[in-house]
Amino acid sequence: MTDQEALDALEPAQLSLAAGTPLPRRKLGRGTLALLVLLRIYVLIAVPLIAYAFFKAL
Amino acid sequence: MVAAIREGDVTEKAPVKASDARSTPSPPGDAVAREDLLRARDRLKVVVTRASGRNLKLLWLLAGPGVLVMLGENDGPSMVSYATTGARFGIGFFVPFILLTFLMAFAVQEMTVRLGAATQRGHAELIFQRFGPFWGYFAMGDLVFGNILTLATEFIALQAGGLYFGLPSWLSVGLGVMLVAGSMAMRRYATWERLLMGLAVFNLLFIPAALYAHPSGAALLRAAATWGPLPGGVGNAFLTLVLANIGATVTPWMIFFQQSAVVDKGMTPADVAQGRMDTAVGGGLAAMAAIAAVVATTPLFAAHVDISNFASGADFATALRPLIGTTGATLFALGILEAGLVAAMTIATSSSYALAETLSARSSLNLSFSEGKLFYGAALASTVIAAGIVLIPGAPLLAMTLTVNVIATLLMAPALLFLVLLVNDREIMGPLANGWRGNLVGGGIVVAISLVGALYGVTTIFPGLLGK
Repeated sequence: MTDQEALDALEPAQLSLAAGTPLPRRKLGRGTLALLVLLRIYVLIAVPLIAYAFFKAL
Repeated sequence: MVAAIREGDVTEKAPVKASDARSTPSPPGDAVAREDLLRARDRLKVVVTRASGRNLKLLWLLAGPGVLVMLGENDGPSMVSYATTGARFGIGFFVPFILLTFLMAFAVQEMTVRLGAATQRGHAELIFQRFGPFWGYFAMGDLVFGNILTLATEFIALQAGGLYFGLPSWLSVGLGVMLVAGSMAMRRYATWERLLMGLAVFNLLFIPAALYAHPSGAALLRAAATWGPLPGGVGNAFLTLVLANIGATVTPWMIFFQQSAVVDKGMTPADVAQGRMDTAVGGGLAAMAAIAAVVATTPLFAAHVDISNFASGADFATALRPLIGTTGATLFALGILEAGLVAAMTIATSSSYALAETLSARSSLNLSFSEGKLFYGAALASTVIAAGIVLIPGAPLLAMTLTVNVIATLLMAPALLFLVLLVNDREIMGPLANGWRGNLVGGGIVVAISLVGALYGVTTIFPGLLGK
């Protein structure tokens, strides 16, 4: 079996050349945007909690 | 003739339509990456086996990411959680509850199989490209930071397991680092995966250890049927263990790891059924090992042993020795060692995948060292940093363990939200996108795990919140 025969077993998207090509940004609907805003608020609360947990445990 | 491809050949970054990404033309025939060639050889075996109709061999060839992620999550801190559960509550409510948590883990991880097979992209890469740099860097940053701390807790498990066998800390931790580095030095995904699967089987050492505890089959059946008994009822300790057991089953690194491993292994939409089986088998084996750890430590519950000062799995093994015998306790300690080692290997790889994907570098265990400097360097650096932290005299190991739990649980919500958003993204998922049934089951689990995870994180910080 040659290397070229083996390579034929791969789908085009599996080649590293294809993987190096970025996908476009997703167009976000209002619902998704609202979820991501909520997520930012969640992260703003969670990160200080993590820092607090670490320093409290020291 | 196949020639090695240069780094520059794969770094073009012209955006493409998401729907076109699955049909990008092949590269020129004389420029083939080592990564592609090795993956193609593995892939050809799958194609030939599928054509010959040998289903069991096909499953064996496609198994790996699911088994590794599930057994990898039975890591040092998780096994201590299960041991604590057995020592505090014995055989009862937690036996069926642990089964339920693994069913939830399966529902979450199955989505990563579809995502990887449909998009041929890692999780960090998809977040970065589809939701932009802010969320991309956030997802990668919290994963890598959390993973370094988690890696440290795996080395704490290795250190504790080593101490049980009389090994000095520097030796057990040093051996751990050498094994993690050695596994990556193979520069071959398939070899790395099979080596880890061989090691991960030793997670089942908790089963013979449990048999040495002479468990009652009737008690196990009664627990499975009635979700009881629950000695002491619902209190702070019970709720903390409920949350800890959920946190021990579904964590952010698992999502990133399995999706990237599915891509690195070369799985395609045709392999999703086998990917599901792989994840289900892994979940089943991991659930058995977890329940075995609960059963093995039940004699501590029966003997009313105070475990409040136990800091590691080795303390449980030492306390079990007079109750289940030296062989049983030794098997338990070996299981703890294995848990730390396999988790260290998978978690270090998960960090490498996420970091390289976010920074648009190549990410594969099939890369040569020169092609994968960032990929291999990230794994090695995070392993050495984590091991170094554990060996620092007076290092705040307890603080790290606590912070690891808090990070994993508090940051589970963002990880799961992105997972559900991505798996519903029809532009990249095509027919493998979630249907309404998938969203009902998957979404419900995601909401439940996120709420419980956030509650666990908050109660870890404010222990008085749930009362006594």
